[in-house]
Amino acid sequence: MSRERSPQVIAAEGLARQGQTQAAVSACYDALAIDDRDAFAHALLAELMLEGDFYDEAITAATQAIELDPDCSPAYLALGLAYDRRGGMWDQSVLVWHELAEVTPDLVTAHVQLGEAFAAAAFEEEAVESWRHALELDPKQARAHYNLAIAALMREGMATALPSFHTAGELDPSQDEFFFALLGLPAEDVVIDSGRVKPEREARLVSAEMLARQEDFFGASELVRLLLDADPADADALALAAYVYLKQEATSEAMACALRALAFAPELPTALYTLGVVYSRWPGLARHAVRVFAALSKAAPQHSLAHVLLGESLLGLQRYGQAKRAYVKAIRLDPACVRARFGLAAVRLTEGAYAEARWEMRRAAYYDTKRQGLFWRLWDAYAEGGEV
Amino acid sequence: MAHAEGASRGDATHRPDEVTTREGVFPIGVDHYPLDAERQGYDEWYTGDIDADFAAMAEARLSRVRVFVSWRCLEPQVGQYDEEMAERLENLVAAARAHGLQLIVCFFADDRLAELSAVPWGRHRDPRTDDYLIAREVALAQRIVNRYRLEPAIYAWDLANEAFCTGFTSEEAFERWVITLREAIREVDPTRPILLGVDPETLLRASGVDPRPAIDFSEGASSHLTASYRAYAAEGPLTSGPSTYVDGFLLRAASSDLPVTVDGVGVHSLDFSAAEEAAYVRTVLYSALMNRASGVMLRRWRDLETEKREPYFQDPYEVLVGMVDVAGEPKPVLDEVRAFARVAVRIDPERYALAPERAAVVIPAERYEPLPSLAGLYDPRSCLQSYIAAKEAHVPVTVVREGDPLGGYHALFIPSPVRLTASMWKDLAVFVQGGGSVVLSYGGGDADPAVREIFGVQFLGDAGPTGVMSCRVAQPGVLGGIASFDARTVLPHHALLAASGAMVVATDAKGNPLVTVHQYGQGKAVLLAAPVERAIAQNDPWAAPTAVRHFVREVYGSVARAAGAGAMVECDRPDVELAHFLGEDDDILVVLSHNAEKVTATVTFERVVSTVSDVRGGTPSSVGGKTFGIPLHGNGAVTVRVAYRQQSGGVDVRPA
Repeated sequence: MSRERSPQVIAAEGLARQGQTQAAVSACYDALAIDDRDAFAHALLAELMLEGDFYDEAITAATQAIELDPDCSPAYLALGLAYDRRGGMWDQSVLVWHELAEVTPDLVTAHVQLGEAFAAAAFEEEAVESWRHALELDPKQARAHYNLAIAALMREGMATALPSFHTAGELDPSQDEFFFALLGLPAEDVVIDSGRVKPEREARLVSAEMLARQEDFFGASELVRLLLDADPADADALALAAYVYLKQEATSEAMACALRALAFAPELPTALYTLGVVYSRWPGLARHAVRVFAALSKAAPQHSLAHVLLGESLLGLQRYGQAKRAYVKAIRLDPACVRARFGLAAVRLTEGAYAEARWEMRRAAYYDTKRQGLFWRLWDAYAEGGEV
Repeated sequence: MAHAEGASRGDATHRPDEVTTREGVFPIGVDHYPLDAERQGYDEWYTGDIDADFAAMAEARLSRVRVFVSWRCLEPQVGQYDEEMAERLENLVAAARAHGLQLIVCFFADDRLAELSAVPWGRHRDPRTDDYLIAREVALAQRIVNRYRLEPAIYAWDLANEAFCTGFTSEEAFERWVITLREAIREVDPTRPILLGVDPETLLRASGVDPRPAIDFSEGASSHLTASYRAYAAEGPLTSGPSTYVDGFLLRAASSDLPVTVDGVGVHSLDFSAAEEAAYVRTVLYSALMNRASGVMLRRWRDLETEKREPYFQDPYEVLVGMVDVAGEPKPVLDEVRAFARVAVRIDPERYALAPERAAVVIPAERYEPLPSLAGLYDPRSCLQSYIAAKEAHVPVTVVREGDPLGGYHALFIPSPVRLTASMWKDLAVFVQGGGSVVLSYGGGDADPAVREIFGVQFLGDAGPTGVMSCRVAQPGVLGGIASFDARTVLPHHALLAASGAMVVATDAKGNPLVTVHQYGQGKAVLLAAPVERAIAQNDPWAAPTAVRHFVREVYGSVARAAGAGAMVECDRPDVELAHFLGEDDDILVVLSHNAEKVTATVTFERVVSTVSDVRGGTPSSVGGKTFGIPLHGNGAVTVRVAYRQQSGGVDVRPA
């Protein structure tokens, strides 16, 4: 059964979803002026305060929402995040995430956050258990992998942690986006009929790239073949062929194509990317990966992920000082890069800078939950009267 | 706000900065809390080895100690005072006298442990507002003051600490309480300074009560960073980025006509290593010296021995971390304090004066608006970022509030306000026409009509939020070295402007003006079309894009330089703060790194420098040029005496 929302709350919700924070806060206050026991209004206010990083205000509002309705799952989320981000309130944080995990048992993030709260409170075993539980629910939960990697690093050292770092990195969807950003493809997708592409190089190349992005690797390969028939030294086509092979786990072929592309265009970022990824996956070639990613970070310095890839390859070689510089560069370019934050946290831990490492992990959690838009999922489910 | 009639305000003759201590005129003190372990009961108030503690403090070159009266212990029954407890207070005073320390006696405090003000017979009435309890407070204060009226070891009376004052719910009640206690003390002791240990910014944030009118009744002001204010303004690593500037910012924001003591210096939680504690305390001590503090008070003498409990909840007013450990062994932070004391004593205010601040960050009046206005939440953060940008540009800068007199300044930075009052617009018009320069960043909403007149632009609306800040320089060289860039950062607003008299110095990627400069009367009005300072604060101040930081820094620096409010000494590192103390024969330069890594700062003077030497002594090093490098450790501070080459070409041989 759905829960009733007042017109003022509905108005506030609309404004909040549009990002009009000030207007939404005012609308929440209007709603509370009419009924100060409206859990929706308090929960929404908590989210708006959290959005602005006003943690004390978010804690006050979320606590009131929970007092008014102990089933108000979005308020638990806001409260737990506010405790975590504010810092120094780990005991309350553990309780809140525990509650949320009970209210919505399938909510993976609740288990990840619970693990992080446990870890911050030095309950390491419980933390690991929470992250493992999160991975049982969703094996592709990258943050749980990162946290496990950090836990392994703290217990046993980098060698044990590296596989988890690699797993988490491979789950990162932004790596494919990075490849297409290197290509300079327009953001919007266009439906391509590979049979009707103009027989011109540019048209074939862009169409092949579009098809690769849409994961139509067969179509992309066809167009690449035509391009290479026309010009076997077409470095762009070779680099794209390397990527297509890589996506199909044909790493030897990918390496061959990427190397050939680089023979014609030694600084071609797409070829450097593919070659670096291949090297980083092959045991024993980590040193080569560092060189290739170093070249990539020079060829595409404005891309955060280029520096992240370099940092990760340096981390594998335990060259922490250089890895740190690469991660810091990546974060400067994109503060929301969760992967760089965890990498930097790992480096900080090797330096013994625990407080700084903890901060990087907190920021990673901050951006990761922000990106997921979880509050609105919980809000909608709560309004409908059901679970997520 | 009107003050109660008949109440006397703080008297300048009582100002703490005029009292010379063993450390000259920059006293360093520490709070000595009554209990050292969580397991102790309230009645173990100051049962520790006071004499040993005070001896160690004196040895560490501390000159002041704040002690906390326990109302509960001293008056266990209404009107009945416990002589044994009074004897303990006597022991405190005697120990201070014996070791040459000066006591600050705090009457009403909350330390979250010793139940200092929780009299059991109070029956849960509020000691801040209940008339009967206030009458008892007056009696207690007068009794103590009367007993130590002529005691030279007591330097000042402190009415209350911030944890106690957060219980006030209105300005009127707070002011009434302060006036009542102050007058009661003045009846008995007409001369000794009366203090109020609250920070105007952090208390407002914690309680919603503006304490400034009440503070005006004391003879000294405090700045005091609390754990919750840190979480609000600069959550994050302690030894780098914004958190290293917050103490300085609060100090500047607390400035009024009263001398300001930087209070509560020290870390707030047990999360940090001893090295981090030391680095942080060093940063705050030097920030205080460099930003006109009248002294510093450290947060706690001895670590609190906590119960073995986890997870640990951090109370914002709990004080756990001291300068010596639970066994009394000195921690690295104590060495920092000793080293700092040796430096501070060498800067003789009779000979050296800090270069005047001709630039100011303006805190808008809207900061005092409660929710649902978000301005009260956004503005302090924006102002902190503005302060940091000015510091990074090495502009000598202070902080003022909207409505304060502007006459003494040449450049003003007003970061991202949603609106200013009509009187402020008038003041700004007069300020700029009279030759001042102002940098205002658009903070959202409708623009005041005065914008058109002062800034020479027409406001066409708000383009709303964007995820990328783009800058395309149209007029290179007009505002320092600003460069074109695209940076990933969320700008919550972007004013659409049309120049109507102003010069468009830079645009966004679509050609909308981003920075305009308008000559208005004798002065210059610079408008940033987006709330850049707020964007830095709200996105991630630790990872703000380098290009955005550089942009703000260049705008501030170039405007201040052109207005005659710029740096007298240039430095190549934005994360290094400078304070230039000017002397007649030579100068002193204090250099503080806000970077946790090792750096070398290259400083450039306007005159040829003959020699530099450590302010504590040592052999002067020859320079023979205007530029030299200063190596700094992570969060390092260096204080050098700078002698100049004489104009005639001869070398200045004044002793270093």
